[in-house]
Amino acid sequence: MAIYETVVILDSLLPPKEIDDFVERCSSVIAEHGGKVRTIEKWGKRRLAYEIQKKQYGFYFSVEFEGEGEIPAILQSEYNFNDNVLRYLTYRYDKHKLQSMSSQKPSAKPVEVRSSAPAEAEPVKKVEKASEVDEKNEEEA
Amino acid sequence: MYKQKRRRNCPFAQAGIVYIDFKDEKLLKKYLTEQGKIIPRHTSGASAKMQRQLARAVKRARHLALLPYSADFTR
Repeated sequence: MAIYETVVILDSLLPPKEIDDFVERCSSVIAEHGGKVRTIEKWGKRRLAYEIQKKQYGFYFSVEFEGEGEIPAILQSEYNFNDNVLRYLTYRYDKHKLQSMSSQKPSAKPVEVRSSAPAEAEPVKKVEKASEVDEKNEEEA
Repeated sequence: MYKQKRRRNCPFAQAGIVYIDFKDEKLLKKYLTEQGKIIPRHTSGASAKMQRQLARAVKRARHLALLPYSADFTR
């Protein structure tokens, strides 16, 4: 078992509900194939550094999971099937990342708990973005 | 003899960075030229080990449109 992370850029024009559905679907695909979801982070809508499919903005989210090597391939086919996925990147944590994680273990543990409530405001990089995600969740409710 | 004088320390080792995360755009941007090229290590002084990690991080960030492949691309 290795730890992987997958980052996906979705079309930002999608309704927030569909975005949530897709995030949910990805995590269920991981779970179905014997993987364990560690964290789900929604980074929110961001400006792209360059246009992708004529789009200036994208909705980013990332899922950190543990699992066997076949899961990235399954996720890939899932992403390719969906036209709303602009870009994706799935990578395995290398020894440097694992080393940096082990040196700050206490901070890693509370993050794991949040995976049970993916719809809630996730640890997003910047405060502004966290509030954006909040707003979206409120709209749904 | 002269070579030893010009030797610089790795900026990552000095900052205590073990792993360069591609999501950390601010850090990566310090090691890019205005055009978006990766600064060579003879200029930045990064160790070979960290330069390899940096290159990988920059390339991942570019793929995910966090950093530009070329800065005058959108202008």
